[in-house]
Amino acid sequence: MTLILLFSPASMAAPDLLDPKSATHNTKPRLSFSTKPITLTPREESEVVATVMKWKTVTAIFLLVVLYLVMGAAVFRSLEQPHESAQRLAILSQKLEFLSRHSCVNQSQLEELVKQVVSAIRSGVNPAGTLTNHSSLWDLSSAFFFAGTVITTIGFGNTSPHTEGGRIFCIVYALLGIPLFGFLLAGVGDQLGTIFGKGIAKVEKMFVHWDISQTKIRVISTLLFVLFGCLLFVALPAAIFKHIEGWSALESLYFVVITLTTIGFGDFVAGGSEIEYLDYYKPVVWFWILVGLAYFAAILSMIGDWLRVISKRTKEEVGEIRAHAAEWTANVSAEFKETRRRVSVEIYDKFQRAASIKRKLSSELGFSPAPELTLPRRTVSVNFNDERDKIERDAGLQGLTTPLTRNSGLYMNGLDPERGDISIIEHLK
Amino acid sequence: MNSVGKSWLLLTGLIVFYIIYLLFGALVFSSIERPVEEQLRRDMDALKQEFLNQSCVSAASLENFLVRVLTANKYGVSVLRNSSVTSNWDLASSMFFANTLVTTVGYGHTTPLSDTGKAFSIVYALIGVPFTMLVLTACVQRIMYPLVIAPVCLLQRSGLEPRPATVVHFVLLLVLVVLCFFLMPAAVFSVVEVSWSFLDGLYFSFISLCTIGLGDFVPGTQPGQKYRPLYQVAVMVYLFVGLMMMYLLLRTFHKMSDLHGLTSFLQLPRCEDSDVDEDREPIVDEDSRTANHVTEKTASRHLDPASQPSYNTINKG
Repeated sequence: MTLILLFSPASMAAPDLLDPKSATHNTKPRLSFSTKPITLTPREESEVVATVMKWKTVTAIFLLVVLYLVMGAAVFRSLEQPHESAQRLAILSQKLEFLSRHSCVNQSQLEELVKQVVSAIRSGVNPAGTLTNHSSLWDLSSAFFFAGTVITTIGFGNTSPHTEGGRIFCIVYALLGIPLFGFLLAGVGDQLGTIFGKGIAKVEKMFVHWDISQTKIRVISTLLFVLFGCLLFVALPAAIFKHIEGWSALESLYFVVITLTTIGFGDFVAGGSEIEYLDYYKPVVWFWILVGLAYFAAILSMIGDWLRVISKRTKEEVGEIRAHAAEWTANVSAEFKETRRRVSVEIYDKFQRAASIKRKLSSELGFSPAPELTLPRRTVSVNFNDERDKIERDAGLQGLTTPLTRNSGLYMNGLDPERGDISIIEHLK
Repeated sequence: MNSVGKSWLLLTGLIVFYIIYLLFGALVFSSIERPVEEQLRRDMDALKQEFLNQSCVSAASLENFLVRVLTANKYGVSVLRNSSVTSNWDLASSMFFANTLVTTVGYGHTTPLSDTGKAFSIVYALIGVPFTMLVLTACVQRIMYPLVIAPVCLLQRSGLEPRPATVVHFVLLLVLVVLCFFLMPAAVFSVVEVSWSFLDGLYFSFISLCTIGLGDFVPGTQPGQKYRPLYQVAVMVYLFVGLMMMYLLLRTFHKMSDLHGLTSFLQLPRCEDSDVDEDREPIVDEDSRTANHVTEKTASRHLDPASQPSYNTINKG
């Protein structure tokens, strides 16, 4: 799926489902894309690829994927291991029972037989059951099916080439066939998108009468696309498989999803069991795979877009929160700085005034100049942290910080700075 | 003929050619494989007869037993004596399984047995596959510059014209990728895996890196494999990096064919670079003006409904 989609960039026009306008615009199939002659200068090349995702984003996404894998592994283990152990016990007891019931068979003989049988199964030959009414796994229609699974990169694996020549040919065949299928998928996706776009346009015309908002229309059209496609390409085939192949509902759905995402385990294969199939069954299955792949490519890309949008929005929100926080911190610290500066300037002013008053008084009264005036009532000393020192340093107030300003709070001893001067003068008196 | 008619014609032509290609492949596979299959069938028949002849086992009970064994084997549970007691669902193997699920390789050597496992696989795949695509394109975008743009510029500065420069670079890159991601791993696998030949290793590398994943060869599933968890993790890393390199190759090829006018000649879509995202930083710093020009252009292009990024811009990054 991943490789195939690379061959169909920007042409698979399942319409951009977030914008119905583009859907209607897609009435012209986009296979014929640009007819401008391409003149790329080297500088233009570098222009065109001037941006790339940040390392941080890439590593973040990568870590997320690893986390996703580990989570999946843990869940699978917890779900499957008990079943596996049960299976193992069952089959071992079967073997012992068989050996005990048929005493002429010794264990090594049995092992040998089982080994051969298992390797035969791997080669696609099923020795269980009579061999006469087996259809070959390499008759024309099955080989056609196999070639299809190779080119679509689904790769079920219920049949696989075992000769050296077959394998080499498989490699060469896939090398040429996968791009070819990629282009085909692009074309089919285009047409699918066009058909769907026309349908959306018609539905939109209806909704215009009802006067519903654009976003609602978009959401509805997305939902319609998903639902309708699911019905046509998932639910209906699943029901058909359930009926014809005899699988359970879950198994049919599982097969549909595993096939259309091109994972293709091969534990369930339509047309792979020993049932008598109708002649046109396999070609119809192949055609369904082709169109269903185009639909699934659309769905998966949509999910991818959502993941991107979610991650972008989360980033935005986180960015917003961070911006808000930064803004708030900046505001608060600026205010704080401002207040500190104001207060310290005021205090310094008052201090200077007090000193000058004192000098005047002392010169008038003939006192000797007193030592450095300190406020004795400074009993409360709130310790600032270093940041405030830094702020003050930044504000260039370092020279003005006296022990007074450094060790006291905004409100010294509960005194208001505005009233501080009164207490100084009172003290002096 | 107008463009609509032309595109329909092109599409039908493609479909017809595709069917012919499939038929051709079917014929070749059939003629190569069928005789071998017949031979194996006959061998099996003889084996069963031989077994039944020399023992007291009835055909019916043997059938019964075989069916049970094969069902168990389908899920990876072996009944042989020397099969290792390591589970197929311990943490490393489960992670390997999850990895084959999200990269869409899907070997199928172990598949979920329980119904819950199957249901969970469905949901896990539906979310994990686009997720992986996103990661791969992001990584490819990132390594595109040192591995593609810079060398091409280097080649051009040393005197080559743009078109031959891209061809030369592409060929070099191709040779490098084939050497490092096909031939070398094939050699390693043929040494580490007991029963694989070099061709088997090469076949495995190719089938895995194209995400076909037939599952006839899966590393680390032989009984008695030493350091199995480490080995499986190493194979996972190899698969991821290899897929990335395949992407890179395809992208380079697409750009090259753009340059050579191949895509416009075949009227195929051009390799468009997607819009500038916020989580992207310019890597050509000196051309900041031109980068701004590009962002303006792409920003205005974004508004034109005809050029809305289609659903797989995700693949172009």
